[in-house]
Amino acid sequence: MGRFWSLLFLLVPILGVLCFALAPALGYWLPPDISEHGHRIDHLFMFCLYLTGAVFIATEVVLFWFMWRYDGRTNRDPVKFSHGSHNLEIVWTIVPAATLLFIAIYQMDAWADAKIRTPNIPATVEVTGRQFEWRIRYPGPDGELATEDDIFGVNELHLPVNEQIVLNLKSMDVLHDFFVPQLRIKQDAVPGNKIPMWFTARETGTYEIVCAELCGWGHYKMKGRLTIESREAFDAWLKQRAAEQKATQ
Amino acid sequence: MLGGASALAGCGQADVAQFRLNMEGRDPSFAAYEKQAKEAKTSEESKKFREERKAAIANEKVREQLVVDLLTAAFGTPDAPFAPPDTGLDLVKLRRAAGPTASYQSGQQHGLYRKHCAHCHGISGDGAGPTALFLNPYPRDYRQGIFKFTSTGPGAKPTQADLERLLRDGLAGTAMPSFALLPQYEIEALVEYVKYLSIRGETEALLNAAFENEELKSIDLKADAAKQKEQAVALAERVKSEAGYCASLWIAAADNIVEPNQEAIPPFLPAEGTAEWLASVERGRLLFRDSKTANCIKCHGPTGIGDGGGEELFDDWNKVKPANTKPDIALWLLPKQELRPRNLRLGIYRGGRRPADLYRRIHVGIKGTPMPSAGNVLTQPGQIWDIVNYVLSLPYEASGENRQQPATIHTASTAQTSP
Repeated sequence: MGRFWSLLFLLVPILGVLCFALAPALGYWLPPDISEHGHRIDHLFMFCLYLTGAVFIATEVVLFWFMWRYDGRTNRDPVKFSHGSHNLEIVWTIVPAATLLFIAIYQMDAWADAKIRTPNIPATVEVTGRQFEWRIRYPGPDGELATEDDIFGVNELHLPVNEQIVLNLKSMDVLHDFFVPQLRIKQDAVPGNKIPMWFTARETGTYEIVCAELCGWGHYKMKGRLTIESREAFDAWLKQRAAEQKATQ
Repeated sequence: MLGGASALAGCGQADVAQFRLNMEGRDPSFAAYEKQAKEAKTSEESKKFREERKAAIANEKVREQLVVDLLTAAFGTPDAPFAPPDTGLDLVKLRRAAGPTASYQSGQQHGLYRKHCAHCHGISGDGAGPTALFLNPYPRDYRQGIFKFTSTGPGAKPTQADLERLLRDGLAGTAMPSFALLPQYEIEALVEYVKYLSIRGETEALLNAAFENEELKSIDLKADAAKQKEQAVALAERVKSEAGYCASLWIAAADNIVEPNQEAIPPFLPAEGTAEWLASVERGRLLFRDSKTANCIKCHGPTGIGDGGGEELFDDWNKVKPANTKPDIALWLLPKQELRPRNLRLGIYRGGRRPADLYRRIHVGIKGTPMPSAGNVLTQPGQIWDIVNYVLSLPYEASGENRQQPATIHTASTAQTSP
C-alpha cells in the first residue's frame, strides 16, 4: 500500500501523453491549416509541444522515482541533511534560460513575417469589430478604402483564394479579436488603431470568424462567416453586392 | 431613479417565464388619493379619500388579474405561446422561437428569442431586457406596434421582408447587431415571434384603454359566479376581436408598400464628377435647406451634422414619459431618453444605405420619431432622389470646405473642370 501513491501519480504522465497521442485520431486537434504561412505556426507549436512534453515526462518520472524510492514504509536508509548543490542549481537555471532564449530567437522570423513585415500592397478589405458583429468594407473598383465606391457588408466576408490578402482590422467600441483558426491568424482589434493582417488562403470553403476577446455580454454571438472562393466568384459576388447597394426599388 | 428602473427590470425573473403586465405609467398604489387626503381640510374628507384609495387599489388588483387571465387565455405564456387563429400567426414557428433555449443533436435550435433577443428586448417584448438600460437608443418596445424602418406607408406595419432584412443587416449605429448567419427558417421564426409579441402588446394596450375609457365600466369586477362567467365570455370575445384587428394591420402591410418613384433617377455615387450627378446633388442641397418643402436643416442642421434643432426631441416611446426628475418616472421601466437628429456625415444609415432605403426614409419618415413624412411636399419627380444623392455625398465632402456657406460648394468648381 505504501507505494500506491507513487504509482497513482505515475498515471499523470502516462495519461497525459496518451491524451496527446490519441487526440488527433479522435478529432480533438488543430483544425486543418489552409494558409500559406500556417505550417510555420504549426511547426513552432509542435516544437514547443515536443520540448515541453519531453521536460514534462522527465520531471514526472523523476518525481515518481523519488516517491517510490523514498517511500516512508519501505525506506530504511538513515535521514541525510543537505544544504543543496551549487552545481545543480547552476545547471537548472542555465538550461531553461538558454532554452527560452533559443525559442525567443527561433520564432522571431515567423513572428516578423506574421506581424511586422507588412506587405506593401493595398488592403483588400477592412473589417471593423462592433458589439456584436463584424462590419465589412471593400474598397470597390478604385482599390482605395474610404472612398465613394466602397462596398459594405456585415458578418459575411468573401476573399479570393491563392492571393495575398491584406485585411485592415479596426474596432468601433471595445477590444475584439479577429480569429480564423484554419487560417492560423488571430489579432486583437483595438479601438483607435488600424491594424493590418495578411495571409494567403490556399483552399476554398467557408470558415467561421470568431471573436476571441471577451467584448461584452453578447460576445458569444459575435460570429462571422469567411468564404474563400476563386477570383472569378469573388469578383462576381462583389459586383452583385455593389449592385444591391445601389438599388432604387 | 435608475435604481428604480433596474429594480423593476428584475421583477420578471421568476422560475417560470411570464409575460410582464404592461403597467407603465400606472400607479397601482394610487398615491394621488393619499396626497388629496393629506391636503383635505377636514378629517372626514381625508378619511373619505383614504377609503377611496383602498377601494381603488382593490379594484385595480382584480382588474390586473382579469387582464392577465384574458391575455393568457388568448396568447398563452412565453413557454407555450398561442395565438387566436384569425391572427394568422404560424404556431409552429412561434413555438420554435419561444421557450427556454435548447439545441438538439440534429442541429435544431429552440428558444431562439431568448437566446438572441430577450436580453435587450425583454421576455415580454417591452424593450426593457436586462441590458436595455445601458443602450442608446433603447431596444424597440414591440408593444406599441410601431417599427421605425419600414418599406410601407406612414402608420403602416413593416412587411415580413422588412423585418427579415432588418435581422440580417442589423441596425448600424444602434446596439442591434446583424443575424446574417442564422438559417432562413430561424429568421422567419423570430420575425413571427416579434409579430406575436407586438400583436399581444397592442391587444393589451387596447384592453387597458377600454377599461380606462369606461367602455368596460359595466363590467362588475365583484359580480357573482354566474355573472362573472357571462362577463368572461364577452371579454374573451372582445380580446379576440382586438387581436384580430391588430393582426389585420400586419396582414395589410403588404398592400401598403411605398414604391420609390422610378422616374428621374439621377446617377448615384460613385458617379461623382459627371455633370448630371453634380446637378442632382446641388438640387438636393437646395431642397435640404428649403424651409418651405423638405426643411431637413430644421433638425439635421445646415451642415447635416444633426445640430439643427434647439428643442429637445423625443420619440413616441419616450414622449409619454414624465421628465426624469419627477417622481412618477419610477412608474416606467426605463428613464426618459432624448433623441438626437442623425449626423449625416458619418456614413452610417440605420435603416439601410441603398438609395431605395433613403428614399423611403424621406418619403415616409421614420415612424415613431419626429422625422416627418415628406412624400406629400416633395411631389416633383426626382426631388426625393436629389436629396438622397445629396445625403449620400455628405460623408465624402472635401475637408476644409467652408460648410457654412452654401454658395461656395466644391461640386460647382469641379463641375467646370470635369470633362
